[in-house]
Amino acid sequence: MSEVWTEARSDARSRASRRVRFRGGPALGIVLPGLPQLLAGRLAAGGYVTALWVGLVTLLMYRWERVWAAPTGALDEQIAFATLALGIAGALAWSIRDLRKGRDPLPMSRSQWGLASRAFRKNRVAVLAVGMVAFFYLVALLTPFIAPFDPTFQGDLLADRLSGPSATHLLGTDHFARDIFSRLLYGARISLSIGFVAVSISITIGTLLGAVSGYLGGAVDSVIMRGVDMVISFPRLVLLITIIALFEPSITLIVVILGLTQWPQVTRIVRGEVLSLREREFVQAGAALGFSRVRIVLRHVIPNILAPVIVAASLGIGDTIVLEAGLSFLGLGVQPPTPSWGTMVADGRNNLLGAWWISTFPGLAIVFVVLSFNLAGDGLRDALDPRLRS
Amino acid sequence: MRTIRRVVSVLSTLAVLALAGCGDTEGTRSYAGMPAFCQEVLPAVDAYMADFEQPTGERYGGTAVVGGIGEIADGMNALVSSDYSANQHQLFVNLMSLVRLDEALELAPYLAHSWEVNDDITELTFQLRDDIVWHDGTPTTAHDVEFTYLRATDPQTAFPNAAFWSNYVRGPDGVEVLDDHTIRFRLQEHADYMDSWRATAIMPRHLLEDVPPSELRQHPFGTRCPVGNGPFVFAEHRPDASWTFRRNPAFSEELGGPPYLERYIYRIIPEPTTLATELLTGNVDVYIAPLPDQAPAIEASSEVELRDFAFRNYVFVGWNSRRPQLADARVRRALTQATNRQQIIDALLGGYGSIANAGVPPFHWAYHEGIEDALPYNPEEARRLLDEAGWSEIGPDGIRMNAEGDRLEISIKYNPNQQRQDVAEIMQSQLRDIGVAVRPQVVEWATLLNQINSPDLRDFDGVVMGWVTEFKVDDHDLFHSEKRDTPFGWAGTEDERLDFLLDTLQLIVDRDEALPLWHEYQERLVELQPYTYFFFPQRLGGVNTRLRDVSLDARGEWVNLKDWWIPADERIR
Amino acid sequence: MGRYLIRRLLGAIPLVLGIATIIFFVLSLAPGDPVSIYTAPNVSSEVLEQMRQNMGLDQPVHVRYVRWMGSMIQGDFGVSFARNQPVREIVQQILPNTLILSLSAITLAFLTGILIGVFQAVRQNSLIDNSLSVVALFFYSMPSFWLALMLILIFSLTARNVWDWPFYFPASGMTSVGHEFMSPLEQVGDRLRHLALPSISLALVLAAGIARYMRGSLLEVIRQDYVRTARAKGLPERTVIFKHALRNALIPVVTLLGLYLPFLFSGTVFIETVFAWPGMGKLVVDAIGQRDYPVVMAGAFIFAVMVIIGNLVADLLYSVIDPRIRYE
Repeated sequence: MSEVWTEARSDARSRASRRVRFRGGPALGIVLPGLPQLLAGRLAAGGYVTALWVGLVTLLMYRWERVWAAPTGALDEQIAFATLALGIAGALAWSIRDLRKGRDPLPMSRSQWGLASRAFRKNRVAVLAVGMVAFFYLVALLTPFIAPFDPTFQGDLLADRLSGPSATHLLGTDHFARDIFSRLLYGARISLSIGFVAVSISITIGTLLGAVSGYLGGAVDSVIMRGVDMVISFPRLVLLITIIALFEPSITLIVVILGLTQWPQVTRIVRGEVLSLREREFVQAGAALGFSRVRIVLRHVIPNILAPVIVAASLGIGDTIVLEAGLSFLGLGVQPPTPSWGTMVADGRNNLLGAWWISTFPGLAIVFVVLSFNLAGDGLRDALDPRLRS
Repeated sequence: MRTIRRVVSVLSTLAVLALAGCGDTEGTRSYAGMPAFCQEVLPAVDAYMADFEQPTGERYGGTAVVGGIGEIADGMNALVSSDYSANQHQLFVNLMSLVRLDEALELAPYLAHSWEVNDDITELTFQLRDDIVWHDGTPTTAHDVEFTYLRATDPQTAFPNAAFWSNYVRGPDGVEVLDDHTIRFRLQEHADYMDSWRATAIMPRHLLEDVPPSELRQHPFGTRCPVGNGPFVFAEHRPDASWTFRRNPAFSEELGGPPYLERYIYRIIPEPTTLATELLTGNVDVYIAPLPDQAPAIEASSEVELRDFAFRNYVFVGWNSRRPQLADARVRRALTQATNRQQIIDALLGGYGSIANAGVPPFHWAYHEGIEDALPYNPEEARRLLDEAGWSEIGPDGIRMNAEGDRLEISIKYNPNQQRQDVAEIMQSQLRDIGVAVRPQVVEWATLLNQINSPDLRDFDGVVMGWVTEFKVDDHDLFHSEKRDTPFGWAGTEDERLDFLLDTLQLIVDRDEALPLWHEYQERLVELQPYTYFFFPQRLGGVNTRLRDVSLDARGEWVNLKDWWIPADERIR
Repeated sequence: MGRYLIRRLLGAIPLVLGIATIIFFVLSLAPGDPVSIYTAPNVSSEVLEQMRQNMGLDQPVHVRYVRWMGSMIQGDFGVSFARNQPVREIVQQILPNTLILSLSAITLAFLTGILIGVFQAVRQNSLIDNSLSVVALFFYSMPSFWLALMLILIFSLTARNVWDWPFYFPASGMTSVGHEFMSPLEQVGDRLRHLALPSISLALVLAAGIARYMRGSLLEVIRQDYVRTARAKGLPERTVIFKHALRNALIPVVTLLGLYLPFLFSGTVFIETVFAWPGMGKLVVDAIGQRDYPVVMAGAFIFAVMVIIGNLVADLLYSVIDPRIRYE
């Protein structure tokens, strides 16, 4: 414990020394939030906020008309509008608060989460990865403002088909003369939501079953664990392909099936955690006080197993996106004309010899997003596991 | 650590054994582990073939490798196969049909050296060659033909192309062996009665007679050890990997003698990019049907040439006229005219194709040039037709409505296939311009067949499909009102004149007499528009320049495999 | 030990039967008539009925289930609809191909994964550690079919046609045409050349996980007292790591082997298709599309068995490596 303590102190000291000290900082912080912090040497926080601010303001300037029309537009435009507004407001608020904090340092949090978050922030790769993930989600939400074309709009089939990257079509066009860049942006929404929703489903089921199984033990535990054994021994891909091939592939079906086949890993992790938690004092105390089992599971057990679950979720989203791409390869992914990165890579692969850009850009997008999720997940795991904090 | 080392060494020994062990060497072929039937027939084939000297000459020798994306699923068993590549291998590689088509697509003798038919076309008599021998040494006789016919017409066999015999007298009453090399069939008068004999390979009676017809499908003959009588002898089949054939040195001199190639190998490479790579790196000599998008890369290579040829398939969207919004022929014509088919051909097929307006392919004698411009791309005309048919209101979303307020909305189903998906997506995009909402919908193949074929289901508005026609064009099952409730009556057409034409055309033997009716038939199809015929794609082929005299045409890629040759200094395997 | 094995195997039986049963009923719920796939147009309904009878599909579901279970227990998987061949024969021809590919991929993955992991642990938190993590995860994050296609375009197409490598890697198949005419040494070389790209693309995906695990495990071991003692004794670092730490650190890594055996299937589906490698993954996926129920069932059965064997292997390796663990 002493090691950790000194570390935390030195961390706090170096943090204090990097507070914004120069004059004019507050004014600059309102014009360009994040820049004062960036100049003060806080690369991550300052850099992210600056980039966010510059990006959003640029977008606002270039796509003023679309933004203006958005509040009365379609749902995705409204969401984009809200994202934009929140992003700008958030950056400003953070900037002001952070600059004020400089004069009045807050006490360092010493909780488990505080320690973890500090350990995490020291892992530069992971911080960068989280930034990337946030970037991709932000882009996905803002797509209606960014995308230069409608993703399903087919240009002149003869003139614009399969044209390489150019000023009009940043990433080229596909065999329907559709703009790859726009499709990539809209595809981000599909692919990221597939990952997110499927993992939410599996995490929910997995956590509940794992907590119940570990906490109740006995017959319930063995029934659930036999179920887990069975689903784990199931060749997942065979099951996925069978179900999707035999019934009509729709986004809902794909998401649900992906979610419903992924929970056993989570169940195992959670059950293990719960088994060890069960013996700990605060849970025992709750039982002694006569709280109902449901209440103990919901109020005391589940919050404490969040850490491993978050790690599993961030790794799981990446895996799900890759798996959706695999299903697309077999013709069983998200169906056209809806673009998902998986279908874009899979559909473009027949053009690899002539028009490499069709499948290469979505392929790289998948790699970078999944990589970010994995690196973030890795960093989280390292930060949350006290044994690995060096 | 020592244990690990031990584990590693055991693993690596196993690996080397596995790597080295699986090869078998030609000559010392072992049939252990194969079904009993194969252990009996394959050594007999080897023994018989060993007696013949291999031909010599500058053209003789070498191996050609053909790559395709699919397995020859039904193998060489002509009685159960419905698959194109299986049929090709039966007809031109391993087995023989009674007659074949020459380059002008006229009938030519093959296993039968002549045939005659009586005046009222009720008796058809074939004279067979007497120099054709099964690869195990048994002569091919009229009894084999009789056997094939009896099995093919036996319902228990479930011969997939049963319609071949719809105008023949089925079963033992329909066939009579006059002598070892003469056989007579009884039939009813109809046109194109010979086409069935072009498309059906003759099977060996002496090997399969004792097999109950219902078990023919799973008999090892088809995929494990076929014994044919054609120019190539079966050597080996590795499932999902390859089929190997070697030259039949005993093949009839009068039919051109043994093939030049010593070996011919068909390789299964399911991924088109991989297959193109193998063609461009010289590991595959012929790529069957490359994708149009791959044509430029193939053309650019100096080692390979790109071929294109007219083929017998066409792609169409079939309309379910039972649906209220599609019941009116004017609506269906409007859908066709609002689709820029030429643009689609230029874009998706790279120009390798021509617009189809009816199901008679351009090289066919009955093809009607007069309808080529019958349904030009004309969105204005399409709008007019839709207005006329009552879809004149335009809704707030730009979609047309009729007086009752129904939206003009159509779903188009297709199976997972890039080209069909493209057709559906382009129609969606182009029909939006005239106020028709199209919803492309992918359905997995078997499910799709179920949805469109079940007479009591017919769960589709439009469906993107392709037909491969035989040389005999017969749309009876597709459009005749009698067939409305049979599996392929997708369109649900009911038209007296069409019925009359369909009935009559199958009976008129004289082409000059039939031609005007054929033209009228195709015009009628344009008028009724049960399908939006899209295009006749040109079939492509990638051929290594090492291979000589490869002719690819409407008869299929393998039609003259026997005549392919490789100059001695260019043989690499 | 023997007792333990038998108990585990017996325990696996209901599991396998349960899996087979579920797959059976999922398949029988599916819409679509297998028979219609295997017929040409124009076929009459009598022919369809006859085919259905020949394939045994005319019976109600429960009869088919009982019949199928009965014959499967006797080791008879029936006859493939699509290939007209007994399923057992097909599997006999195809299963070894998958095993060759997956075993070589696993071997390769463990070798590289362990090496990378050890290297990372030794240089914990250095630039090299971080960049190796990123590189390993980069390959892990790629859709495997895409990685495979890239390898083909680079090491097959470009290597031969642009760079003129004399020994470029072939893009497909298990052996060259003419393999049987080569000398035994050439045959091994030929097989390795064909094995290279598929097993590398499979191994690259696996290696990241192994490296991650290896790194964590070694870091934990390095902090233990006996390692400190070894260092304190003045043993060279190399000896400490490889003689003392590595052996214990390998234990959890070895258990991954059990987890990866089944995982390999999902990888092989794509890899086998891209590299035209005639294996189980592709067989089963094709069979699903063709409603070839006997093959799908047999495939699912084999994969379930593989998972169970994988778990068992992991447990056994555990006891081989760690003498403290004994199964009774």
